[in-house]
Amino acid sequence: MVKEVAWREIRTRARTKSFRWITGILVAAAVAGPVLAAVLPDNTDDDRREVTIGLVAIDQGIENQIAAFAEAGLDITFRDLTGASAEQVGQALADGEIDVAFESGPTLVWNRGTDFEIAGVVNTVLQQQALLARGRALGLDQDDIVELLTPVALEERFANEAGESEGVTIFVSFLGLMAAFMLPQIFGQLTMMSVVEEKSTRVIEVLLNHLRPRTLLLGKVLGVGALAVVQLVVVVGGLAAALLATDSIDIPAAVWRFVPIILVSILGGLAIYNTLFALLGSLISRQEDASQVMMPIFIPLMAGFFIGQTAITGNAESLLVKALTLFPLTAPMLLPLRVARDAIAPWEVALSLGFLVLGVWGLIRIAARVYEFTLLHTGSRVGWGQLVRLSRGATLD
Amino acid sequence: MPMTNGLRVTGLRKRFGEIEALRGIDLEVPRGQLVGFLGPNGAGKTTTMRGVLGLVAMDAGSVTWDGSPMTEDDRHHIGYMPQERGLYPRMMVHEHIAYMGRLAGLDHATADGRARQWAERVGLADRGNDLIQELSTGNQQRVQLAVALVHEPELLILDEPFAGLDPVAVATLSEVMAEQVARGASVVFSSHQLDLVQDLAEHVTIVAAGVTRATGTVTNLRAHSPVRHLEIHWNGSVPNWSPPDGEPRKAPAGVSRFVVPADSDAAVLIASAAATGAVGAVSFEPPGLDDVFLELVSR
Repeated sequence: MVKEVAWREIRTRARTKSFRWITGILVAAAVAGPVLAAVLPDNTDDDRREVTIGLVAIDQGIENQIAAFAEAGLDITFRDLTGASAEQVGQALADGEIDVAFESGPTLVWNRGTDFEIAGVVNTVLQQQALLARGRALGLDQDDIVELLTPVALEERFANEAGESEGVTIFVSFLGLMAAFMLPQIFGQLTMMSVVEEKSTRVIEVLLNHLRPRTLLLGKVLGVGALAVVQLVVVVGGLAAALLATDSIDIPAAVWRFVPIILVSILGGLAIYNTLFALLGSLISRQEDASQVMMPIFIPLMAGFFIGQTAITGNAESLLVKALTLFPLTAPMLLPLRVARDAIAPWEVALSLGFLVLGVWGLIRIAARVYEFTLLHTGSRVGWGQLVRLSRGATLD
Repeated sequence: MPMTNGLRVTGLRKRFGEIEALRGIDLEVPRGQLVGFLGPNGAGKTTTMRGVLGLVAMDAGSVTWDGSPMTEDDRHHIGYMPQERGLYPRMMVHEHIAYMGRLAGLDHATADGRARQWAERVGLADRGNDLIQELSTGNQQRVQLAVALVHEPELLILDEPFAGLDPVAVATLSEVMAEQVARGASVVFSSHQLDLVQDLAEHVTIVAAGVTRATGTVTNLRAHSPVRHLEIHWNGSVPNWSPPDGEPRKAPAGVSRFVVPADSDAAVLIASAAATGAVGAVSFEPPGLDDVFLELVSR
């Protein structure tokens, strides 16, 4: 019977226009990013900053060397100002005709402040010229000088493997956090609407002729949850396929280690929030009253999301983050990113998952008990006090 | 009490806060019998039906099926048509009927077959792929009936099934109810259309203010009424005559109508009337079900 209810939820929701459109848009957005980045022409040249250097004193070959050295970042044009007076140079700078003037000395003349990027390029070229001249004066040939000037190649390695893939780790952690934050909201509200629809259309009276409230609840939570997983798989699958096809990203092995924990957390989050949304949906009889009961759900969701955001790059081992990792309503958002950042002990992972499973189990038990009394309740919404009494085993008057 | 095959409800009581909705409801629906369950609004009919279905826990009383307390398994063999229609607006007709069949325990193939069969029986064979929300109210009611019957229930509970139906749909529903009784199902239905009830149901139970006021065959209830309806058609002018203890009722020209005590002697009354004018035709009958109903619920 749970399967029947779940399948009905999946079939009914999956064929709504809104679900198809949202899924389509998300897949298109996920695929479009990497594909467009690969297909569109490289705009690096256009992005280079245009700089004009006025040459008052011309040093042999310095133009070519400066231009070559700055090619990656600056698009340099030279203007011949040989013989220009200090006033003429000042006027050219003031009018913006040139960004800097190069005088003998050697001296760089700025209008007001120093542009450190241009100064750095010119300085480096001058230093190299000086070193070459001194090397020749010492009787060294060109090859010796080049060898002498070749910098030592400094290599890096990471004691923690995760360090090598930190950028990808942060990206995947953020995706996981977003999914754990958004999916329970979207699909939890679908679950709630489904409960309210059954109450408002009175179909619940016919259903309960054949089903226990607990069966109905489980079927609904599983069905809508499965739909969320399908959407997630389709969207992430599209993104992964696009990234791999365009060779945009090399997913490091370290990332695959915490992807399962992201998936488990998302599933746990969907289960616990879908149950919570269903429970609160049973307190009301009209869709218009949904906002009255939803607010408390958003408190742990928002807390988990915002603290998760700071923990992605900040301190992932603060007392608050540790505590919320153990709380079932925030664990789905915080657990994966702490695992990704390698900022959690194995026992904490086990405890967090254990509490999450216990939370889902406990909430389903309470929700099923409350469901029995609230599903046939119509009219005004069931109050919070009544909800507490029902969850303790009392009955509605 | 003798063991009854079918549904037996005894002494149901239910309180909702300050309101005592049921104060002792008795109802019997033997197998193969159609029972009209009558009462004014707020009498406790729907609460009783929900109690039988297990949707509302009763404070006292018993519900038995074939002589034993009704179990969850027994309830799978109940077909229920609620007063306010209960359908998923965004499901298709065939899909909806088949889904309810599967929930009632039918396998996929059987549920599919029965869904087609019942859609055809209630006149919706060509609407199988339409969404419920696209159907008229009357057609939605037909779907509701099919949903109640798809698993061939042993007990059929219909809460105001005729409300809002056109005459064709009323005829179809009446036929279907008769068919269910013929195959041995127990059928109980509530309705405010007493003329329909009188035509369809041999047995009725009348409730008011949460208590069963009367139960039995329509003929018996009428016969046990403390009054009789006397109607005299006069030849010529209507004389100024009225029976002793008789209450006059509105009547067309040339006719006199009175409500008289049931123990009145019809022959004496006719003789008395004939002494004052030319009597053409006389009827002396128990009241109709509607009058019996009004008399019982106004006590």
